[in-house]
Amino acid sequence: MISPLSNPPLFHLGPLPVTQPVVATWGIMLLLAGGGAMLTRRLQLIPGRTQAALELIVDTVDSQIRGTMRVEPGPYRAFIGTLFVFIFVANWSSLLPGVEPPTAHLETDAALAFLVFLAVIWFGVRAGGVRGYLASFAFPSPTMIPLNFIETLTRTFSLLVRLFGNVMSGVFVIGIVLSLAGLLIPIPLMALDLLTGAVQAYIFAVLAMVFIAGAVAEAKPETPSTKASP
Amino acid sequence: MSIDWATLGLQALNVLILVWLLARFFWRPVADMIEQRRAAAQALLADAGAKDEAAKAALAEITQTRAGFAQEREALLVQAQAQAAAARTALLAAAAQEAEALRREARAAMQTEQAAAAQAWRARAGRLAVDIAARLAARLRGEAVQAAFLEFLLHEIQALPPAARQVAALEVASATEISAAAQSDITARISAALGATPRITFIIEPALIAGLELRGPHLRISNSWRADLDRIEQDLTHDG
Repeated sequence: MISPLSNPPLFHLGPLPVTQPVVATWGIMLLLAGGGAMLTRRLQLIPGRTQAALELIVDTVDSQIRGTMRVEPGPYRAFIGTLFVFIFVANWSSLLPGVEPPTAHLETDAALAFLVFLAVIWFGVRAGGVRGYLASFAFPSPTMIPLNFIETLTRTFSLLVRLFGNVMSGVFVIGIVLSLAGLLIPIPLMALDLLTGAVQAYIFAVLAMVFIAGAVAEAKPETPSTKASP
Repeated sequence: MSIDWATLGLQALNVLILVWLLARFFWRPVADMIEQRRAAAQALLADAGAKDEAAKAALAEITQTRAGFAQEREALLVQAQAQAAAARTALLAAAAQEAEALRREARAAMQTEQAAAAQAWRARAGRLAVDIAARLAARLRGEAVQAAFLEFLLHEIQALPPAARQVAALEVASATEISAAAQSDITARISAALGATPRITFIIEPALIAGLELRGPHLRISNSWRADLDRIEQDLTHDG
C-alpha cells in the first residue's frame, strides 16, 4: 500500500522530479496570476462590481496589515496577501475531483514557512539594518539571545506543522470516510474542511504578519517594541 | 515519511514567483487604483471646499451688497419723500395762487356784472326819468315857454363868434306850429342877434317837445326840451 504521505514524482525536468503538489501549485499560479492579470486589465476610477470586489479584497488585506502590524501596508501587501490567497485557494482546491491540495503535503507547507522565515529576516534587516535586526535577538536582555533564536526556528516550525496537520488531516479523514461510508456522507466533513482551510489560511497570514511586525518593530532603534508571540 | 527537498525548493520558488506575479498583476494595480480614487476624492473635496469658501465669500458680498441696497433704498425713500413734500408744497401754492386768481376773476366779473347791471339800471332809470320829464314838459307847451326858449336861443346866438354868425340860410325847428306873426318876430329877432339877414325857414318837429332849434350848414344850436332831456339822460347814463 502506498502511503498517503508519499510524494512520487510525476515526471522529471532534467534532474528535478516534478511531483503532484508542484503541478497543482502551477495550476493555482496560472489561475491566480492569469485571473488577476485579466481582471485588472481595465481598472477604472468608477469601479464596476468585479473591480469593487477586487478592491474589497485588497482593502481588507490592507486593513488587516494596518490592524495587526501598525504600519502602512504597501511593502507587505504582496507577500502577506499572496500567502493568504495561495493557501486559501490551495486548501479549497480539494473541491476539484482528483486534485489534492498542495498544502496537504509537507514540502509545500515547509516552503511557505521557510519563506515566512526569510521574510522576517528580510523585513527586519530592511527596517533596522543587519545590526538592528541582530540586536533584536538581545531583547529584552542579552541572556534571551538563545531563547529568541530558538523561538525564531520553532515558530517557523509551528507554522509548518499547524498548516500541514490541519489540511492533511482533513484530506485523510475525508478519504477514510469516503472509503467506508459512501458518496454523500463526507459532504459535511468537506464543508468543515473548507472552513478549516479558510481559517488556516487566515491564521497563517496573521502569524506571518505578527512575526514580521515583531522583527520590524524590534529592529527599529527608536521605536518602542512589543515582543510578538505566535 | 521523508522530505522531498526538490519539491520543497520548487514550491518555495513557485510561491516566490506567485508573489511577484500577483504583486505585478493584481496587488499593485488595484492598490494604485484605490490610491488614485482616494486622491481624486481628496481633490474633489478640496475643490468642493474651495468652492464652498468661494460661495461663502460670494454670499458675504451679496449680503453686503444687499445692505448697500437697503441703505440706498432708504436714501432714495428720504429723497423721494422730500421731493414729494416739495412738489406738494408747490402744488398747494400753485393751487392757492390759481384759486386766488379765480377768486379775483370772479370778483372782477361780479363787479363788472354789477357795474353793467347798475349802468343798465341807471340808463333805464334815466330813460324813465326822461320819459317822465318829457311827459311833464309836454304839458308846459305855451307861449311863455316858447318865449323863454326864444330868449335862450338869442342868448346862445350872441355867444357865437362873429364869423359863425355869417350864414346865408337857417332852419328853425319847433315842436308845434308857429304862427306867421310869431315867425316874423322870431326871424327879426334872430336876424338882429346875428347881425345879418339870412333866409330862415320854419319846420315842425314834435319830438322836440318844446323849444326852438337853429340849424345851418355850419351851425346848430340845440335849444329844446328834447335836447335838454338828451343831455340829462346822457349825464345820467354816464354818471358813475
